[in-house]
Amino acid sequence: MIVLGIETTCDETAAAVVERGADGKGRILSNVVLSQIGEHAEFGGVVPEIAARAHVEALDRIIAKAMEEAKASFAALDGIAAAAGPGLIGGVIVGLTTAKAIALAHEKPLIAVNHLEAHALTARLTDATEFPYCLFLASGGHTQILAVRGVGDYLRLGGTVDDAIGEGFDKTAKLLGLGYPGGPLVEKEAAKGDAQRFALPRPMSGRRDADFSLSGLKTALRLEAEKIAPLSDQDVADLCASFQQAIVDVVRDRLRSGLRMFRLRIGAPKALVCAGGVAANQAIRKVLHRVAFEVGSELVAPPPALCTDNGAMIAWAGAERLALGLTDPLDVAPHARWPLAQVAKEGDKAAAQ
Amino acid sequence: MRVLAIDTALAACSAAVLDTAGGRIVGSESLPMARGHAEALIPLLARLMKRSGITFQKLDRIVVTTGPGSFTGLRVGISAARGLGVATNIPVVGVTTLAAYAAPYLAEKSDVPVVAAIDARHGHVYLEVFGAGGRTLIAPRIAALSEAVRVASETSARIVGSAARTVAEALAKSASAPPIVDARGAPDIAWVAQVGAVVPDGQAPPKPQYLRAPDAQPQHAASLPRR
Repeated sequence: MIVLGIETTCDETAAAVVERGADGKGRILSNVVLSQIGEHAEFGGVVPEIAARAHVEALDRIIAKAMEEAKASFAALDGIAAAAGPGLIGGVIVGLTTAKAIALAHEKPLIAVNHLEAHALTARLTDATEFPYCLFLASGGHTQILAVRGVGDYLRLGGTVDDAIGEGFDKTAKLLGLGYPGGPLVEKEAAKGDAQRFALPRPMSGRRDADFSLSGLKTALRLEAEKIAPLSDQDVADLCASFQQAIVDVVRDRLRSGLRMFRLRIGAPKALVCAGGVAANQAIRKVLHRVAFEVGSELVAPPPALCTDNGAMIAWAGAERLALGLTDPLDVAPHARWPLAQVAKEGDKAAAQ
Repeated sequence: MRVLAIDTALAACSAAVLDTAGGRIVGSESLPMARGHAEALIPLLARLMKRSGITFQKLDRIVVTTGPGSFTGLRVGISAARGLGVATNIPVVGVTTLAAYAAPYLAEKSDVPVVAAIDARHGHVYLEVFGAGGRTLIAPRIAALSEAVRVASETSARIVGSAARTVAEALAKSASAPPIVDARGAPDIAWVAQVGAVVPDGQAPPKPQYLRAPDAQPQHAASLPRR
C-alpha cells in the first residue's frame, strides 16, 4: 500500500510518500522537508504563530513536490496520513485540515497519526525492528522512554517533568549567545572544552523511575556562567562541555533505569531504538550504544533525516495503522496534547464499535 | 463556471457551490461557530458536495476567504482550499472577508461608500473603505476604532462587518442620520462565491491576510556578555 504523510507539528513543513509491502517492509518513495529554522532563529526558539504562518504558505507546494518525486498520483494512494498532534496547534491544524481535504477529494481513508507514535515506529521502516523494543525519544519538544509492544501499544516508562533535552541545549546556546538551534552549536563548543571544569548536577540520577528533569541543571549552568561573566571563548567551551557531559550522564542513568523497568514489565527488548534530533549528538549516541550493549541488545538509530521530524515517519505510521484497519473520520480533532498511552490500538477500536 | 466557496475566517463555518451559468447557488451550508472550524469544515464540505450532486472534479474554481479574521480560523479554510487545489489541480483564489462583506451593498448601490470593519480586539478593527464603483479608498489595514468611526462619519457610508455595530454606536452620537448597518458575524457565503467567481485568474492568490504581525520579540537580551 502507498500512503502520503504530512508533518507540521513544529518547525518543519514536511510531506512524503511511503510504500508498505505485504511483507510489512517499508520503502520511501519521496521525503520532502522544508525547515523553518531561519524564520525562528532571531527569537531563539520556535514561535508558534510564525510556525503556523509558514506551514500554511508552504504545505501545498511541499505535497506537490513529494507526489512528483514519488511519481505517484493521488488516485493511486491507499491513504492520507497527517500528524494530528501532539505539537503546536496552529501547525497541526494546517497539516490535518490539508490531509482531510485531500482524503475527501479522492475518497481515500484518513489516518490521524500521533507524532510520537510516528517516531516510535520509524525503526520498523528503516530497520524492520521487531516488537517489543525500547524507545528513547529525545528532541526539542519531547524526552521520553517508551516500551513499544505493537502498533498502537505503547507503555510510557519515563519522561521529562519539565524541559526536553533538545530544549535544554537550545536554552544553553541562548544563554551563551551561540544561536539557534542549540544542539549542534553546543556540541561543537563542547568538543573544545573541559567537561570537568564546572560541577553541574545530574538531576534524578539514582532514582528507580525513568524520569528526567532539566530545570535544576539549567539553573546551575546559568549560575556558574553568571559568576564568571563576561565569558571568554574558553569559558563558553568549558560550560558547553560540562553541560553536555551532565546530559550524557543523566541519559545513561535514566536509560539504564528505563531498561530495568522494561525487563521487569515486558522482558528482554529486541532493541534500543533512538529517535529525535538529540540522538544526532555524537557523545549521546556513544552512550546509547554502550547502554544497549550492557543489556545485551543493540542500538537501532535511524539516519538523522528520519530521526528529526519528517513526513516519511508519518506516512509509515499511517501505513502501519491502515494495514490494521485503523482509520479516522473526517471530523477528527487536532490535539496540542496527546499522550501516546491514549493512542487507540486495534483491540480498542473493535471494542468501541 | 462552477465555484466552491469556503469561509471559516470569522464566526461561522460556511461553504457554497455556485453555478455562474444560471447565476444560482446550487447548495449552501453555514454553521455559526466561534471555534471548532477544524473539526466541522470537511464533513460540511462532504455533505454540501453530496447534496449539490457535484464532484470535485467538476469544479472550475475554489474560492476561500483569506481574512482578516481569526488567525486559526482563516488557516483552516485556506488549508482546506489549498489541499483540495493540490489534490485536484483546480485553481484556488482568495477573497478578503472585508470585500465579501461589502460586495452585496456595492452591487445594490455602487455610488455610496461602504466601510467594512471587522473586530480586531483591543480597541481596534480591520478596516477597508470602498468608494464609488467598489474602488478601494482605504486599503485593508488595522486601525483604531476611533479612526473607523471618523472615516464612517466623513463618508456617510453604509457600515458592514463584525465590528459594524460598534462603529455605528460610536457614530450615532454625532451623526444626523442613522447609517445602514450589517453586523452579521461572518460574510454571506453566497457573496464569497460571487466575488470569487469574477476575480481574474492569478490575481488573488489564496494567501492569508493577517494584517497583524505575530506577537513575538527577538530575544538577544537573554545572552550573557562575552569578553
